[in-house]
Amino acid sequence: MIIPKLALKNILGAGLRTWLNAFVLSLSFVLIIFSQGLLEGMNTQAEEAMIAAEIGGGHYQHAAYDPYDPLSLADAHGALPAPLAVMVSAGKAAPVLVIQGTIYPQGRLIAVQVKGIDPDQTVLNLPTAFLSAAQAGDEIPVLIGERMAALSGLKRGDTVTLQWRDARGTFDARDTVVVQVMKTSVQSIDRGQIWVPLERLREMTGMPGEATFVVLAQGAVRPADSAAGGWRFSGQDDFLADIRAMVESKSVGSSVFYAILLALAMLAIFDTQVLAIFHRRREMGTLMALGFTRGKVIALFTLEGMLNGVLAALVAAVYGIPLLSWVARTGWALPGDTDSYGFAIGERLFPSYSLGLVTGTTLLVLLTTTVVSFLPTRRIARLKPTDALRGRMT
Amino acid sequence: MRHRIPLCLPAVAAIGLAAAVLAAPAQAPDGAAVLRRVDQNMGADNKVTTSEMIIRGRRGSRTVTSKSWIQGRAKSFTEYLDPPRERGTKMLKLEDQLWTYTPASDRTILISGHMLRQSVMGSDLSYEDMMEDQRLVALYDAVVAGEERVGDRPCWVLDLSSRGAEIAYYKRKIWVDQERDVILREARFAKSGKLLKTTDVRNVERMKDRWVSTRVVFKDALKDGEGTEFIVKAMEFNAAIPDHLFTKASLR
Amino acid sequence: MIRFLLKGLLRDRSRSLLPFITVMLGSALTVIGFSWTNGAMSSMIESGARFSTGHVKVMSRAYAKEADQAPNDLALAGAGSLLAGLAREYPNLDWTPRIAFGGLIDVPDAQGETRVQGPVAGLAVNLRDPGSPERGLLNLDKAVVRGRLPERPGEILLSDGFAARLGIGPGATATLISATMYGSLVVQNFVVAGTVRFGIAVMDRGAMIADIDDMRGALDMADSAGEILGFFRDSPYRRDEAASLAAGFNSARHGDGGEFAPRMVSLHEQSGLAQTLDFAAQVYSLMLVFFILVMSIVLWNAGLMSSLRRYGEFGIRLALGEDHGRLYRSLIAEGTIVGFLGSAAGTALGLAVSYYLQNTGFDLGSMLKNASVIVTDVLRARVTPASYVIGFVPGLAATFLGKAVSGIGIYRRETSRLAKEFEG
Repeated sequence: MIIPKLALKNILGAGLRTWLNAFVLSLSFVLIIFSQGLLEGMNTQAEEAMIAAEIGGGHYQHAAYDPYDPLSLADAHGALPAPLAVMVSAGKAAPVLVIQGTIYPQGRLIAVQVKGIDPDQTVLNLPTAFLSAAQAGDEIPVLIGERMAALSGLKRGDTVTLQWRDARGTFDARDTVVVQVMKTSVQSIDRGQIWVPLERLREMTGMPGEATFVVLAQGAVRPADSAAGGWRFSGQDDFLADIRAMVESKSVGSSVFYAILLALAMLAIFDTQVLAIFHRRREMGTLMALGFTRGKVIALFTLEGMLNGVLAALVAAVYGIPLLSWVARTGWALPGDTDSYGFAIGERLFPSYSLGLVTGTTLLVLLTTTVVSFLPTRRIARLKPTDALRGRMT
Repeated sequence: MRHRIPLCLPAVAAIGLAAAVLAAPAQAPDGAAVLRRVDQNMGADNKVTTSEMIIRGRRGSRTVTSKSWIQGRAKSFTEYLDPPRERGTKMLKLEDQLWTYTPASDRTILISGHMLRQSVMGSDLSYEDMMEDQRLVALYDAVVAGEERVGDRPCWVLDLSSRGAEIAYYKRKIWVDQERDVILREARFAKSGKLLKTTDVRNVERMKDRWVSTRVVFKDALKDGEGTEFIVKAMEFNAAIPDHLFTKASLR
Repeated sequence: MIRFLLKGLLRDRSRSLLPFITVMLGSALTVIGFSWTNGAMSSMIESGARFSTGHVKVMSRAYAKEADQAPNDLALAGAGSLLAGLAREYPNLDWTPRIAFGGLIDVPDAQGETRVQGPVAGLAVNLRDPGSPERGLLNLDKAVVRGRLPERPGEILLSDGFAARLGIGPGATATLISATMYGSLVVQNFVVAGTVRFGIAVMDRGAMIADIDDMRGALDMADSAGEILGFFRDSPYRRDEAASLAAGFNSARHGDGGEFAPRMVSLHEQSGLAQTLDFAAQVYSLMLVFFILVMSIVLWNAGLMSSLRRYGEFGIRLALGEDHGRLYRSLIAEGTIVGFLGSAAGTALGLAVSYYLQNTGFDLGSMLKNASVIVTDVLRARVTPASYVIGFVPGLAATFLGKAVSGIGIYRRETSRLAKEFEG
């Protein structure tokens, strides 16, 4: 037990030097946790936004529906299988009917997907309530996203002609009025599409009770596939695969950054150790004369170095916890939308520090500190106590 | 010949009303009968036509020339002659199916589903528009809504509404020349009543014993643009067309 | 005096070597760290730039308005002379024409009848010209999954998943059904030379890459291009330069009012990328501040310690009659020399490593399962002019400060005590 006590005494006795090292190391600590937390926060936020506004607990899709093939839409509609219909009436799922259409803003022609959704639905975090607002005349209320608004030049209150075909292939066209331009970070519910009330779309197309896909509420228990009447289930993981792959490639890049950062901090530890060993050879000699084996001396010095890591963790906790939790609470204001890579995040970014992240980083820092502290001590192994006592290195 | 009553003269309104009551039901023929006469004028015989399509786009216009062999209403075979790029492209319509053949690829492709909705050669007409069975009488209920002049020609104005078949246009309005039994103007409407496409006949010629519209302008009413002009250069009636022309083998 | 100090530094390795190495490594790490974050940020920009936006892009004004829909009827005419003009006017950029198109891929059976069809998003680029940058831009050599890149006219690449779904592979015939820029139906046969992975689901479901000459023929777009992309040669995106380039190009053609007149837009003006970049810049500049802070403290610490362990020597020198000020100044001069040399060596080392990481990159190929057209698999550092000073300044300043602070001890402590520390 003498070694840990001695190590602690030594390191605290060194005063300023120790605290500087600990502070440097703690900065690396905090920075790694912070930036990793920011990255994770960005990912979780993007995933959460997509889940809230688009994915829900996953989609049941009509057998003919291929989300990547707009041409499949003509046939991709049908009555809901019974278990899904039950979920819909229980408010645990929201049906969406999708058809192809064309809008004509200022004589231009823009192909769009027309998505019908129940204005009163609560499954997705969409401002569909605007669609239920009573409309004068028989203009169809339409909800669009900011990107669609920018693309088409439409704004709230504008009227635009929509042309579509009903279930029998007969053309129909009506004026629609943009009741709201929604600000959403999820571009897959925005670009190239317009949202209309579900019942209105069913009536417009002659597809009563039909849908193209059904969004399950988060946490809703999905019916057995056999009961889904050929409708295909696409879960959250399927929707999120793309951004997860992108995150994977990004995280390797940031690991390199952390490695450099850590290397910088380790330089300080290494430096300290080398100096300490050089400076304190007489002390080593004394310890050996008092009966310490070389191994014990090495253990003492390694432990002292390692304690730098422990102190750093403590220092990091002192200012890091309040700082990081403050940022996690208030978030980081973003300059506008940051979703052009399909990353759906809002206007503020909230870092998320997982337990795994914090303990992982702590272990990593402690481990590297220990290794780096140990490396210079190997010189001690060659030390002759007699030389050491006289202050000489062998 | 009856003229429109100027509505700004209330004094004569009563007379006008009386005239309308007298004129419309009494003189106007049955809508179906008008359509039948139109069909009759067009005839169900074999025809060979050479025509030009002038397509006006944002970058100027281009002209596509083609020759068509038509048997009755169900079968037609079209070969494009000009511009050089389109030469040798052929299209075969058999009932409700449409194939196209391009010499460059030596492939025969069935144009189906959504592809029928694509524009033909960049024109304001879709393949579907071209495929349409001309016998309106079979698809629509026709009501004579009144009389109007198109240019200097007196016309019956017919309101057509779908009988519920799977057709692109729910309602149409056509102006039929009272004497010549040719359609001089047409408007196609969405179910909601919104105007989608217009057709204007600019020229009608007497060929053999029939009247043929030889210059027609089609236009998508929702889109900016000048529309597509269709000009019949020559038309041969009762032509002898070998049956094998209307087979997929003849496309190659 | 400097010569004397240099001699001392050179002869007493413990006085010079360790601080020198520390400063060198610290500076080098700062340079590498800085260049690496730069590289990470530009790789984020570059993958989008390479695939779709370019550093700058020239389109017709009408096309630019509807660029999302790839309206080839509004494409740039006279692309050849426009391209030549751009190359002449902006010789420090690589210019490459592209055509985006859509359609169906139709696979025939033995009788030439349609066996299977699928919708396709296409990109026509200059594939066969040996001077073309496209193979590198689209990471094609690595993204190939089956077969090879097109070499002969009429050869195309399909996304691998798409080809699998159609049940075809290299060597198969695929017919593209599309429309010319005038709207005529196009039915054109191609031979699948190989399949590629794009790295984003929507493209992997149905996309093709064809040679631009083939597609000009197919789409009746002789001497036309949907867009012309410009890339700073051998250099990543430079925001201000791209913006001024575009502004200059457009104002020079201000009088040319036609809707088909060319218009240049910078990467920033396209598809909301601007905000992404601003955000990334914020994050990275914060990281950089931290980085330099950490580095400064490390070096300061090093300077501090190298002085502390020489208190004994100072005691003797004071005892021999050197006055405090002279000793202090000599200490600082020593620190400055070590700092200068260490920072210089560190910057050189850091730049060497950074340049290596910039040119060769850090290949993730083995770590990521899949190389693809869009998601880059080689991470690179990026050396900027700032890389040359970012390690040098804190290296020098920190050593200087470290010595200055630790040297105060010379004044504070008694000569006898310093000498005693020497005794041990």
